[in-house]
Formats: sequence, C-alpha cells, structure tokens
Amino acid sequence: MIDSLKEYQNLNFEQGRSLWQDAWYRLNKNKLAMLGLYVIIFFVVVSILTPWLAPYGYETQNLALGASAPSAQHWLGTDIHGRDLMTRLMYGGRISLMVGFAATAVSLVIGILWGTIAGYIGGLTDTIMMRIVDILYALPFMIFIILLMVVFGRSLLLLFLAIGLIEWLTMARIVRTQVLTLRKQEFVSAAVVTGLSHWQIIRRHIIPNVLGPVIVYITLTIPSVMLLEAFLSFLGLGIQPPQSSWGVLISGGVETMEEYPWLLVFPGLALSLTLFALNFLGDGLRDALDPRATRD
Amino acid sequence: MLRFFVGRLLQSIPVIFIVITATFFLVRAAPGGPFDAEKTLSPEVIERLNERYNLDAPMYEQYFDYLGHLAQGDFGPSFRYTNRTVTEMIYAGLPITFELAIYAIMIALVIGIFAGMLAAIKPNSAQDYIPMSLAMTGICMPSFLLGPLLVLVFGIWLQWLPVSGWGYSPGDKILPAITLGSTYAAYIARLTRGGMLEILSQDYIRTAKAKGLPMATIIIRHALRGGLSPVVAFLGPAIAGLLAGSFVVETIFQIPGLGRFYVQAAFNRDYTMILGTTILLSCLIVLLNMLSDLLAVWLNPRLALSNEKN
Repeated sequence: MIDSLKEYQNLNFEQGRSLWQDAWYRLNKNKLAMLGLYVIIFFVVVSILTPWLAPYGYETQNLALGASAPSAQHWLGTDIHGRDLMTRLMYGGRISLMVGFAATAVSLVIGILWGTIAGYIGGLTDTIMMRIVDILYALPFMIFIILLMVVFGRSLLLLFLAIGLIEWLTMARIVRTQVLTLRKQEFVSAAVVTGLSHWQIIRRHIIPNVLGPVIVYITLTIPSVMLLEAFLSFLGLGIQPPQSSWGVLISGGVETMEEYPWLLVFPGLALSLTLFALNFLGDGLRDALDPRATRD
Repeated sequence: MLRFFVGRLLQSIPVIFIVITATFFLVRAAPGGPFDAEKTLSPEVIERLNERYNLDAPMYEQYFDYLGHLAQGDFGPSFRYTNRTVTEMIYAGLPITFELAIYAIMIALVIGIFAGMLAAIKPNSAQDYIPMSLAMTGICMPSFLLGPLLVLVFGIWLQWLPVSGWGYSPGDKILPAITLGSTYAAYIARLTRGGMLEILSQDYIRTAKAKGLPMATIIIRHALRGGLSPVVAFLGPAIAGLLAGSFVVETIFQIPGLGRFYVQAAFNRDYTMILGTTILLSCLIVLLNMLSDLLAVWLNPRLALSNEKN
C-alpha cells in the first residue's frame, strides 16, 4: 500500500503549462530574441558594476597621450583629452539605460492607472478619459520636449518626466482595450458575485492578465526612449557634460570623426547594439506572449 | 464616413488651439528674460526693449495680441536678430525643409514599399529575411549616427559627394535625403509587409489567383490598395517625425532650413522664434496627421467603423 503510494507520487504527470511557462518556452525557441535578452542583461550588469569594472577613472586624463587609437592599454582608444573611451562608454551607458528604464517606468505607472480606470469604470468616464488621450496624441511632442528643455533648463529629472509623459499615451490605450475585454469575461463576473472589492478584482484578476501586452510594450518603449534621449543629447539639449550618455559621446565623436573615427564608431555601436537587442527581444516577446498579434 | 471626416476635422481645432496656448504660456513662463545675456544694458534700455516687444503689458493682453497677429500670419519680431522678423526667417527656411522632407519621404516610400512587397510575396524566405533585417538595421541606426557615418565614408574617405551644404554643389542633396529617409524606409517596409501579408491571405486574392491572373496584376490591381493602408496611416506621424528629424540632419549637413533655425533659436533663447516655429510646425503636423487619417479611411472605409466603435 505504502509502496504503491510512493510509486504514485513518483509518477511524472504531464503537467499543464501556465501561460508564462508557455511564453518562456516559445521565447526560448526564438534565438534572436534570446540573444537580445542576453545582450541586454550583459549591458545592464556592466552598467550596475561600472564603478568597479571600469579600467580607468571617469575623469582621468592623460593629456600627453591625447587621442589614441585602440590599443592594449585602452581597448577602445582614448578621446582628445586622453580619457579612456571604454570607461566613458560604460558610464555613458549607465545614463542612457537609466533614462530608458526610468522614463519607461514613469509612462508605465501613468499609463496603467489611466487605462485601468478608464476601462474598468467605462461609460462617460471612459469616453472623457480617452478623448483626452486622443487630443494629447495629436500634439507634436518632440517639439514640446525641446521646448521644455529650453525653457526649464536641461535637467535629467525633467528629461525623465518629459519623455515619460509622452509615452504613457500608448500604454493607456493598450491597457484600456485589454481591461475592457477582460471585464466582460465570466471569471470577472464570478469574482464580482463572490463579493470581492473592486481593488481586489483589479489586483488579482485584471492586472495579471494585462501584464503580457504591457511587458511587450515596455520592451519596445525602452529603445524608443533611449533613441529620444540620444537625439536630444546629440543636439545638445539633453544630457549635459560633465555627465555623459551615448548620445553625448556620439555628438562628440562626430566633431572629430575625420581624425579619430573610433570616437564615433564605438559609441554608435553601443547604442545600435542595445536598440537592436531590445527590438528583437520585444518582437520575440510579442510572438511569445500574444501569438495572435500581427507584426508590423 | 462623412461623420468620421467631420469629427476628425472638429477634433483638430481644439488641438491647434491647445498648441498655441500651451506654447505661448510655456515660453512666457520661462525663468529669466530674453535680454538677460546682455548684462550691460541699463534699466532704461531694458524698459524700452520691453515696450518694443510688448513685454510690459499684462499676460492675457500679450496673449490676445499675439493671437491677433498670428491670425494675420505675423509671428512678430525676432528677439535675437533685431532686424529680421520671425515670419521672414520662416519664409526663408521652410521651403528648404519641405524640399528635404519631400525627397526623404519619396526615398522612404519607394524603397520601403518595394522591400516590404518583396518580403510579403515570399514570407519566411531569404527574400523576406534580407530586406527585413536591413529594415531592422535602419530602425536601430538613428539619423544622427547614420548621417555622420555616410559623410565619413562617401564624403571624406571616398570623396564621391559633398559633405555639407544645400544647392551649392551638385549632389549635395543626396546624403541628407538618404539620412533623413532611411529610418522611415525601414518602418514603411515593415508596415507594407504586415499589411500585404494580411491582404494576400484574403479570399478575394485567392479568387484572383484561381482565375489565373498573373501575380503582378493581383498585387497592383487588388492587393496594393488595402495592403498599403497601414502605410498611408503612418504617413502623418512619419512626416511629423521627418520634420523633427530635419533638426538633426540640417545641423549635421549645415542646411539653412527651419530645423536648423529652430535648434539655433533654442540655444540663443530666441523666444519669439521658438514660439513661432513651434506653432507653425505643430499646426503643420496636426494637419498632416489629419490628412493621412482621412486618406487611410478613403482607402479602407472599414477603419472609420472601427474608429467609431472605440
């Protein structure tokens, strides 16, 4: 009797896979997306550990050396002040990635709240809230961000907020559509009948089900935010020296590209590689989490 | 459909109004006056300047004053270049920016649609993967990186094309147009592929195939109209992006267009110039967005229905 019970417990039942396991399995099969994931993890880890990993100090100059091509001492060469380019790339990447993640987080919070409230309450509230989104959508935000940076000075915090304040619009739309369809589902009606409060329903049933599309959108928002930051920094309207970002480094590299092309090529490579990785990961996640969605 | 048209038109008016109002008060709310740089100015001179630029009137009066002038196409004097008005500078810069944007969008449309169709005709083959990987490269290679790299290779190393200018020497319009258009070519290629794939799986296309029509006829006569509607809907945002992109491209190639004026005005804190260009560009973008929406609905009337439902 006991033996058979043990045997029973040891039997490997074919377990049903949850949505997340299923998505992870599908993502794992997508080599490009996984490569993207590894590249992102690598860049994030390096950024976090930069103060310990960087081979030289951020401001350490070697004026006698000046701008030198890549060598054994300076793997990616040095800039015109004799500062190690790899070190500067690592510190610049910290800011570029931080802007990408922080601004996306701002847009995430606003977008999810807005979309959930509009979709959950519905009716007139929904109509008004989404009309506001429609109107804001039509505003040319690129120009407005430049205006904000000019008028209120070029601070990092303002940059997060300004970028985050644009990007929440799409997030709100995605979340609202999801919430609208979820609300009509039977398991939500069942939850209402069992007497759960609105907040409990939102937390236990709505948010976990909205997470899929939101994660996909996050992965695609981060690169567009990083691009925006680099664009502004390139024009001199974003991150200000002595702080640095990949956009600032590219902008500096352009000035001297004729004599010292590596000062343009390596920062450009770092930015493009990150954008590539995030876009591939985003595409892969979309295929994995929402097989019905079409690519475009 | 008419309802959609009218609704869309009515929606643009408050947007344009918000743009003008928000820009005006944002610029006025800026810390520090526009004459702060000239520290040596005596109080009397500053007073005179304030009077000339109407800065001592109450805020609401300035605002309505500005609206009144705006309605007559007058953007006021420039704060920096005292002998020029903003309207003059816009007249000088806008045609150049437009020309650049038109070349860029033509490059983007031709390359993008062609590549997207190639990919959609034979999905999941080399004919799909190669153009789509190139498109991904185009998206991940921002103009402020691609432009300098093109200058480096074709302008400095190979010396095939001029590195800057606009209309001064033959061929100096080629690199800026490619730089500005490439990202949009990439997006359009992806959109065309998606739209065409969806249309090509429809029943009426199968019917056309069954009738024995050649592939070229099927695509040109039947698939293109529906398949391109995502591209048309993208044109509005794309042109908005192009105008913003012209800031960078005009700066890189030293083109005397509106984008470069805007960036310079931003650096000089030339408030009236910023105000004028922001309002002009914003209104342009709002109008172009509306036009592309209308065009997309005309091509694919079902879009109007789905819009009303939401």
